Amino acid sequence: MEKEFTPKIVGFCCNWCTYAAADLAGTSKLKMPSSLAVIRVMCSSRIDPTLILRAFLRGADGVLLAGCHPGDCHYEKGNYYARRRFVLLKSVVETLGLDSERLQLSWIGASEGPRFQQVVTKFTEKIKKMGPNPMLEKISL
Amino acid sequence: MKGTKLKVTKSVEKTIVNFLEKGLDKKCFDIVLIPLKVPAGDSFAWVLVQDKSLLADANPLPPVMTVQGAKALSSVARKGKMSKRIAVVMRPCEIRAVIELSKSNQIDLENILLISIDCPGALPLKNYIENPKESENKFNEILRSAQNDKGTQNDIQWGNESTRPICQVCDKFTGTDIGACQSDLHIGILGVKDGNISLIPNSKKGEDILNEMSFPVEKLSNNWENKVKELVKVRKEKREKLQEELKPQIVGLDNLLETFSTCINCQNCQNVCPVCYCRQCYFESEKMKLTSDDYLMRAESKGGLVFPPDALLFHIGRMTHMSLSCIGCGACEDACPMSIKVAQIFSFVGDKSQEVFNYTPGKSIEDALPLKVFEEDEFHTVET
Repeated sequence: MEKEFTPKIVGFCCNWCTYAAADLAGTSKLKMPSSLAVIRVMCSSRIDPTLILRAFLRGADGVLLAGCHPGDCHYEKGNYYARRRFVLLKSVVETLGLDSERLQLSWIGASEGPRFQQVVTKFTEKIKKMGPNPMLEKISL
Repeated sequence: MKGTKLKVTKSVEKTIVNFLEKGLDKKCFDIVLIPLKVPAGDSFAWVLVQDKSLLADANPLPPVMTVQGAKALSSVARKGKMSKRIAVVMRPCEIRAVIELSKSNQIDLENILLISIDCPGALPLKNYIENPKESENKFNEILRSAQNDKGTQNDIQWGNESTRPICQVCDKFTGTDIGACQSDLHIGILGVKDGNISLIPNSKKGEDILNEMSFPVEKLSNNWENKVKELVKVRKEKREKLQEELKPQIVGLDNLLETFSTCINCQNCQNVCPVCYCRQCYFESEKMKLTSDDYLMRAESKGGLVFPPDALLFHIGRMTHMSLSCIGCGACEDACPMSIKVAQIFSFVGDKSQEVFNYTPGKSIEDALPLKVFEEDEFHTVET
């Protein structure tokens, strides 16, 4: 019998909002897939597109960048810059015909434990349908 | 279009050099940055020329682009305002790179006078080195064809098949708004049938210089503008065609891996790129050096691992850094020892991402770098 595919998703979560939401989801014992490997960063704008790309090319089935809602950034405007960088990354990846659907940007506020649960569940379901990242098998990546 | 007509004596290049000499004499600027033939006679180097006699070897339009001009200028002007007034003579793509660098504070434009020239394209560096003499003749023929223009389609050899592929599809080979190039003064050499070239001021600085040198600024005939616009149209079509041909070769994971499989990771393309703005390159940093266990693990799970690793990460990563500022100068492709079509691929990707942000690099110092600014209400389609 074939083993069921469990996606591996790398999640860059900002310290002030999304990481707090993840914590809240945990303490509230909300059930969700264990597919997300959380990397805590101080701000979503800390993430250079190259870091997302690195996880993606190394074979992560999905990469999630998540931070405070626009207007709520702990550093006032970090997430606006993050959004622009993400737009550029998406554009480059799409132009090159790679699977940009595996990259996701979401805003999850500190009090939004249930939203965190929902984003992780939905993204995992989406990736499950897409199947494993073909890059994982490539010896030149 | 307003400007000054300048009578061509001997050759276009000599006429431009004479103009610079006059500027030095009249102290309109103190020093000139311009390509000079190297002593060996088979290449060109950027030289800051103080001594006027050195200008005898100057070539404002060399057949090749050895070092991208913006790279040369940023070595001079990266630490702030210059104490002398410097005139810089460059191809439009070099000027556009200068504008981009000035936006990331890597060139201070105060006291710099940017002079652009209509560019006939450059020859591939590799072809030039093989036979400099013959290449120079070939280039001269291309350049002179502008003067022999009788108005039929084949008169102008600019951007013909001996020039670099990226030059053949360049639609920004000229200055002013038409070429999206913000030089202070543009020298128009196309479509000039009466033995004159035109000096077209494109900023206050440019106007002031012409005044200081007591050149009359008058209305120019439409010849230059018409010829340039005609060529731009042809080039735009060619560019689109080339990109359509390129797509099936590079788009998709397997095509990309194949395209870059010959990359030897010399990183020449990065080193010569004028708009690669990071002071410390991520790809040269310790972050890219992993423990042996990491590589062994990857080899184990994949069945093997190519070394040096991460070639594709390097190229796509670079695109996410500089593609918005990519001015398509072709320096990367000239520098690639494996003849990968780097410039064509990067400018294809660059065109697309620039379109997303409605941004044209080098067009205006007023247009902020897209990653340095934002609107609160924008790009919601990428949010999930």
